[in-house]
Amino acid sequence: MKTSPYRSLEFILGAGLTGAMVLAVLLSDVLFADGADAMDLAMRLTLPFQTLSHPLGTDPLGRDVLARVVSGGRISLTVGVLSVASAAAVGTLAGLVAGYYRGVWDAILMRWADVQLALPFILIAITFAAILGTDMWKLIAFMAIAQWVQYARVVRAAVIVLCEREFIAAAHAVGVRNLAILWRHLLPNAAAPVLVLMTLNVANNILLESSLTFLGLGIDPLIPSWGGMLADGRTYLQTAWWVSVFPGLAIMLTVLGLNLLGDWLRDRSDPTTRSPT
Amino acid sequence: MHMRTRLLAAAVAIAPAFVPPAQAAGTLTVAQSQDPNNWDPIATFLIAWGSVASNMFDGLVLRDEALNLKPGLATSWEVLDQGMRLRFKLRQGVTFHNGEPFNAEAVKFTMARLLGPEGAKGPQQSNYTSIGSVDVIDPYTVDIVLKRPDPVMLTKLAGYGAMMVPPKYITEKGSAEFGIHPVGTGPFKVTDYQNKVSLTLAPNPAHWDGAPKLDKVIYRFIVEPNTQVAELQSGGVDIASNVPVALASTIANAPTLSLISITGPTVTVLRFNTTHGPTMDARVRKAMIMAVDRDTIVKQILQGHAKPVTSFQSTLSFGFDPAQKPVPFDPVAAKKLLAEVKLPANTTVSLDFPSNDTTFREVAQAVAGYLTAVGLKAKITPHEMNVFTNDIIPNGKTGEMFRMGWGGWTFDYDNTAYLMYHSGEHWNPYDKDPALDAMLEGQRKIVDRGEREKALQAIAHFVADNALELPLYNMNTIYGVNKRVKGLVAPPDNRWRLTGVTVD
Amino acid sequence: MGAFLLRRLALAVFVVFVVTLLVAWAIRLSGDPAMMLADGAGSITEQDLRNIRAALGLDRPFTAQYLGFIGGMLRGDMGHSFMGGTPVARMVAQALPLTLLLAFLSLGVSLLASIPLGVQAAVHRGGWADQTIRIISLIGLSFPNFWLAIMMVLVFSIALGWLPPSGAGSLSALVMPVLTMATILTATNVRLVRTAMLETLSAQYITVARSKGLAETVVLYRHALRNCAIPLITYIGLQFGGLIGGVVVVERVFNWPGMGSLAFDAVAARDYPVLQAVVTVLAAMIVAVNLLVDIVYGLVDPRVRTE
Repeated sequence: MKTSPYRSLEFILGAGLTGAMVLAVLLSDVLFADGADAMDLAMRLTLPFQTLSHPLGTDPLGRDVLARVVSGGRISLTVGVLSVASAAAVGTLAGLVAGYYRGVWDAILMRWADVQLALPFILIAITFAAILGTDMWKLIAFMAIAQWVQYARVVRAAVIVLCEREFIAAAHAVGVRNLAILWRHLLPNAAAPVLVLMTLNVANNILLESSLTFLGLGIDPLIPSWGGMLADGRTYLQTAWWVSVFPGLAIMLTVLGLNLLGDWLRDRSDPTTRSPT
Repeated sequence: MHMRTRLLAAAVAIAPAFVPPAQAAGTLTVAQSQDPNNWDPIATFLIAWGSVASNMFDGLVLRDEALNLKPGLATSWEVLDQGMRLRFKLRQGVTFHNGEPFNAEAVKFTMARLLGPEGAKGPQQSNYTSIGSVDVIDPYTVDIVLKRPDPVMLTKLAGYGAMMVPPKYITEKGSAEFGIHPVGTGPFKVTDYQNKVSLTLAPNPAHWDGAPKLDKVIYRFIVEPNTQVAELQSGGVDIASNVPVALASTIANAPTLSLISITGPTVTVLRFNTTHGPTMDARVRKAMIMAVDRDTIVKQILQGHAKPVTSFQSTLSFGFDPAQKPVPFDPVAAKKLLAEVKLPANTTVSLDFPSNDTTFREVAQAVAGYLTAVGLKAKITPHEMNVFTNDIIPNGKTGEMFRMGWGGWTFDYDNTAYLMYHSGEHWNPYDKDPALDAMLEGQRKIVDRGEREKALQAIAHFVADNALELPLYNMNTIYGVNKRVKGLVAPPDNRWRLTGVTVD
Repeated sequence: MGAFLLRRLALAVFVVFVVTLLVAWAIRLSGDPAMMLADGAGSITEQDLRNIRAALGLDRPFTAQYLGFIGGMLRGDMGHSFMGGTPVARMVAQALPLTLLLAFLSLGVSLLASIPLGVQAAVHRGGWADQTIRIISLIGLSFPNFWLAIMMVLVFSIALGWLPPSGAGSLSALVMPVLTMATILTATNVRLVRTAMLETLSAQYITVARSKGLAETVVLYRHALRNCAIPLITYIGLQFGGLIGGVVVVERVFNWPGMGSLAFDAVAARDYPVLQAVVTVLAAMIVAVNLLVDIVYGLVDPRVRTE
């Protein structure tokens, strides 16, 4: 592949945005020791860019918006990363087994995938959230349960193609055990599409967290999260825009960074890929 | 470049075509939060029903804006047999919107339907079970005979379930059809109903209380409060019926709009879990009540659109005691009291509330902040509405506190107190106190108004003395109204009558 | 070919069947509609609740309720809403066209934007035009959709007063919901068009067409794009489920009375018949579109049939 200086613009921008956000979130404890929760009703809705103590203003309960945006990222990123990691782990395993052994498990998996893909996720999510209630771990579980089939499908497809290649047949011929083939040959070769899907889904799930909060299915409002701040602040857009515009910007920049990275990764791993997800 | 300029010009030319058409004078458009789905008076309990359907139906008695009873389809009434028999003289010459005459038979039909199997399917019947029979004396005189004393019955006859319905129409078309195409005797009649979209009313010029001045009323069902306000601001509706506190000042400051903020029917309190955890101890509950600064919550978060309360009722409620004093905000005393109890370190108190209440989301966070300030760890848990009212509260699965909002259309403390504090009641998973039960049952047997009021006030004091709840506030109902609407009188029970309203 | 079609069709029916079972089971876990109807009624007794449940047919065992629902669906009878007794079929007939209108119009608008953008990105692959187009289209994907919707209302309804902020009463009410959806769809569609074009542009006949001296626009839009059509339609078809999911949230913000609004209200009210019907109809549509894609693929590429 030719390397043009423009080609990496996506990477530079993506890595820069994502890196900066992750760094800020990791340092939130150092930067704002318990500042995110300190409430002061007398100081509610302070304008941004006026004082050093509240550079981005305060929210309707007088809490510091900057501190909440930075520590709110921790929840949003945790939800995004953990949901994707667990979905990818389960999905990859299922996809490997189904693609390698085929047969009855493969058939069951694929039909189940069809069922899940036919369900409008958001409707199922609100139904289950209504039953089980929501906290961070349940939110992660909902997303993982909804998305693992995507990974299973991608890995299965890759494995089926790989199994037809000569080096797998050769490995069989010299008596390499199934487990070893799966672990050493198939997994690494199926990793690229999984990695792409993971990056894009972290972005997607950060947005999903905020949409679910908007629909009233968020986590404990005392815990700052971008989705919660955005959803709660929407009523204040006309009177105190900063309450939700700053978390909105944080979401936008992080998600954009991740999407750029994902797009760049996808392009590198397979420049002509058409897979929509 | 040339192309782009032309496009821009075209866009500007088209733009005026997109402006929502200026509403015709005489047409009132109201944004309503909820579609009751069924307009049958016996099938509903929703405030949303009352605020719309009070224009479609009449009861034997009605209430004015000060909540006093006044004649409706009955021109007069008398109380006989020590309150066990209510005799009504009916208004003559009244017809339903479909032309059917209103008379004593219609009253009998209405009440029989309410108390029979059709009524059993809905939530209204249980309010009227003290009625024994309805006796037709002559075509325009009717007696309602009680089988047990019910001092609130006359007020209840102004309630939803006792709205008069047309016998012939319902017998011919069935209840399902009536629920979608309702017919009453009220000042407005339904001309079009699209489920979850809109309801259109036309005036009933023959109405006994005078012909309405409007030509047309359109209710649009809009769930999101922000969207309601946006519609109001852009001229799509004349009245927004659910204005979030955060947007009240925006409306008040807009030159073409005005804000109506009046005492609403709902009182909000935090009730305690008195059978499990740290709040079993009355001292802990008292300390928590002292720890929360309700005045500041009302002033800052609710921007004054609420009144702090001392018991689970508004100042309009029968049973309200102006002499009852609130527990003062005193974090120092709260800390001292908590120190006496010697709670284990890191004791967590959690507050459960329904997630759809966005204003309360902020209040809950503020309460948690105040509790943290006196050394408790606070946690708040939103629940989906149905799960909260259906499972969490009745099955006693709440944390140390839970939000309860209540307000009866009767504006009688009995309506709240009995359901909240009597043992075994659906909304009362925790409290079991024979003394309180006796007080609650006793007041129901008192016919004398003054005596009963005293008994109700004693209940409110008992609840406060035992710190069974943390009283919060009586939330205002906030309406945004376009200034071209004239003659609007907002009733505290949200049951609008638009007869005198005009739109320029 | 006949056997292939039959097998696919049977699988599709099976999938829809499992979906109905899943939904009927899940909604019944979520709480009692009788409480919803009785709530606030004053004193509620267990007997009141039992009466309401009996009137709704909820006193029967699950299998009886489920079979009743399936039997009804097969006869085209979706039952009556628990909230007000409106026939569910009437509610769906009102809401479905509105949802489909929103979905297809959004898709159309998005394609109008993404086809030229995707083609340009492919032609200038790796250059600044490619980079800019991709980055800008990704920005559209980086907002939560409800947020984008609220921002548009602030600008176009409140500040400028051009568009109504909600409802489905007029043509102008369509503009913002469609723009919201289209912004999000465009990011994905630009990418689809771009990759499809990249494959086609390297093909022999394009080189031939160019060497014949045809104008570049003609080569791109007449020859190349036409050959992209099948893979493009296929992948857009596969996204149909996601498209419907997105519409559901956008409907909520704009108070658009479509299937999404219907479903949200139904979950909140535990209106079993309505939720079952909405999910079944949507799932059946998603499955049907996927089936169509499969069949088209099977016709184009016979190897698929053996899978």
